[in-house]
Amino acid sequence: VTRRPAAGLAAALLALAVLAAGCGGGDGDAVTIYSGRTSNLVGPILERFAEETGISVDVRYGDSAELALLIEQEGERSPADVFLSQSPGATGYLAGTGRLARLDQGVLDLVDERFRNADGLWVGVSGRQRVLVYNTDLVDEADLPDRVEEVVEPPLAGQVAVAPSNGSFQDFITAMRVTQGEEAAAAFLRGLAEADAPTYANNNAIVEAVGRGEVPMGLANHYYLHRFLEEDPDLPAANHRFDGDDIGALLIASSASVLEGSAQADGAQQLVEYLLSAEAQAYFAEETFEYPLATGVEPPSELPPLETLEVPAFDIDELGGGLERTLELIRDSGLDG
Amino acid sequence: VGAAAAPPLRLLGAVLALGFAAPLLFLLQQAAAVGPEVVAAAVDPGLLAPAARSLAMAGGAATAAAALGTAAAWAVTRTDLPGARGWAVVLALPLALPSYIGAFTLQAALAPGGLTDRVLGVALPRVEGWWAATTILALLTYPYVFLLVGARLRQLPADLEEAARLLGHPPRAVARRVVLPQVLPSVLAGSLLVFLYAVSDFGLPQLLRYDTLTRVIFGSLLDRPTSTALALQLAVLALLVAALHRAALGRVARGRPGTSAVRTGTRWRLGRWRLPAVAGVAALAVSALGAPLGVLAFWALRGVVSGSGRAGSVLQDPAVVTAPLLGSAAAGLLAAGAATAVVLPIAYLSARRRDRVGEVAHGVVVTGFALPGLVIALALSAFLLRGPVALSWLYQTLPVMVAAHVVHFAAQSLQASQVAVLAVPDRVVEAARTLGVGRVGRLLRVELPVMAPSLLAGAGLVLLSTVKELPATLLLSPPGFRTLATDVWAATTDAFWAEASVLALVLVALSAVLTWLLVLRRADALA
Repeated sequence: VTRRPAAGLAAALLALAVLAAGCGGGDGDAVTIYSGRTSNLVGPILERFAEETGISVDVRYGDSAELALLIEQEGERSPADVFLSQSPGATGYLAGTGRLARLDQGVLDLVDERFRNADGLWVGVSGRQRVLVYNTDLVDEADLPDRVEEVVEPPLAGQVAVAPSNGSFQDFITAMRVTQGEEAAAAFLRGLAEADAPTYANNNAIVEAVGRGEVPMGLANHYYLHRFLEEDPDLPAANHRFDGDDIGALLIASSASVLEGSAQADGAQQLVEYLLSAEAQAYFAEETFEYPLATGVEPPSELPPLETLEVPAFDIDELGGGLERTLELIRDSGLDG
Repeated sequence: VGAAAAPPLRLLGAVLALGFAAPLLFLLQQAAAVGPEVVAAAVDPGLLAPAARSLAMAGGAATAAAALGTAAAWAVTRTDLPGARGWAVVLALPLALPSYIGAFTLQAALAPGGLTDRVLGVALPRVEGWWAATTILALLTYPYVFLLVGARLRQLPADLEEAARLLGHPPRAVARRVVLPQVLPSVLAGSLLVFLYAVSDFGLPQLLRYDTLTRVIFGSLLDRPTSTALALQLAVLALLVAALHRAALGRVARGRPGTSAVRTGTRWRLGRWRLPAVAGVAALAVSALGAPLGVLAFWALRGVVSGSGRAGSVLQDPAVVTAPLLGSAAAGLLAAGAATAVVLPIAYLSARRRDRVGEVAHGVVVTGFALPGLVIALALSAFLLRGPVALSWLYQTLPVMVAAHVVHFAAQSLQASQVAVLAVPDRVVEAARTLGVGRVGRLLRVELPVMAPSLLAGAGLVLLSTVKELPATLLLSPPGFRTLATDVWAATTDAFWAEASVLALVLVALSAVLTWLLVLRRADALA
């Protein structure tokens, strides 16, 4: 007799939950988005798109690389229409498998050539910049470096944390290989290893460690600090930008692409176009502290405007390939992941 | 025992094994598609070191968890420990914490400049590497041993122990010579689960920067030859350990332990050991559960106090919590029920009949737990969308997501199911048969009631694992389906600590309620 309430409760819970799960169900006419960017970052703007156009959207969130592998396995019957990627590597991988369709020229033209694929397979939507995050209690502003190479030289050597297993750090190394040559990139990595640079799992861990003073400085993406400060305004940490023409100040784009053979190709192209509209771009600038990449949209007040921001001249398509070579360099450098 | 299994049962076992083999077949097919590069990567000496590290970390964690879990289970089920029923729930809960949350919070608490440093003034070295990974894994996974051994201890008949005591053996000798041999299969089963969990986990070694197989796999996901080769290494490692486990089990479980559901083991009086026992159990609960929850509560409060909009929205809009809460509950209950049902025939074949089909199925089920959830999700998507069109409509529906969870986690209920199947006394079944009770009747009225505590313990393990599962839920869930785990992951990815903390606390609370309702309360009632 004692078991009945438990079993009943479990059954009721289950029924309710299955019902709830069923209600969220797919819609044949919806544009299906596989998003490597989290719901916190893009969910609100995707909802606004659905409201304004009347086109319903189904979003599947996940890790960019894992979603790229999923789309590859799904093959021609993939439900995905649009792929939003956090990392250039995942988009580049899909482009390599021939799964991406060419975007409309009108959509491509919304973005500066620096931030889109040469073959028109993807466009950059929002950008994050590589910066040096430092602990304001431990580091004097006057001692901050102008160029990223300085972090492997005295007196900074060993004081700057990196995240070798993180995609953004790897993108930065790829960019360094392309702009300054294999030897320079290899020497930089060796320098980090020889200086025993503290290493962490990802950007979050670096900002957290710098904030609590475990390490004075670290290489990270600019927007993590903004989010930490929102929850802990007293965190003694600040971002420092390298010189505009230095590869340390690389701007990495999150990207949007449409899948080849999408059953909702029109809606998909419309969605990508909407993400580059003034409204959506302002959302990224104000709500997620990112650089808007559509031409003519102002970045958030605390960031320098993109036109005046000198970003290192660099072919962004290079980030889509060559990751294997970068991983090999990192492995060979002896830098402890 | 030893009698040939009925052909229909063997056929069922073979079909189920084939389903569980999907991820293995997928990896082999991938290896064939990529070509000889996979073989080169698989035997590259530089890529063997990660396998050794996986082995070192998982072996260490399994050993430590075996000791912690057995001691805690003994204290809770077999002594007059004050508040034993409460501890039984609390000590099971670390399993509800996703390991990346556990690792991140403990790291934040213990690291230089962290909470212990600031509040207590105790500066510890950086929390990373083998020691940190092994210790934290053991703290988060000892409940595998705790729950299985606890279920077994509750079922053990009292007569043997009482006989030993009457013959004048001191308590310690009774524990070692009478009780320990009978619970050893459960200790081994729990340790195997800890081991498999450890080798398949990515979040924890990633945060604590210990270069295991999974860390290299996820670090080179898009480098297909390397990631495929290392995933195959992981599968081979799991098969070897499963075989080793079977061999060890054959050694320790020579005679099948008899069970009478009439009267179970006596509780020992702790006497002067009362205080140390309470202190030990409390220390375990504080370091494995209290510390991570404390850090989460601190972050949640800090976010709310500083007026973070995201933390506030969780408190103001209950839907932020209820939708993923229902999703987690549904995923967990469905996977737990399905896994228990699906492995019962396999457990019967392998444990009771020592059937070849059962043995093979057992090994295949075990590898499912050792492989990352991502591999299982990719395997199911490839087979569903590249097979007959008729199967395609199942893709990204609730049944397929549950199937992925079952393939991934059924090994957890398999261990418990085997204990359950062995607990059914032959003579009782024979008696029922003699009395003319049919096969189904015997199963429902005779065997299931005897097996229930162990089956429930196994189902509980699957449930606790499923509510924190991430990759298969993300890739295979129906559109719009959310769980607490997916929302916690999204919030931590974006460094919204307050929101992540609130959701993680809800996740632990849900696990606590479900564990108590479905596993512990009934297990006590039935023991």
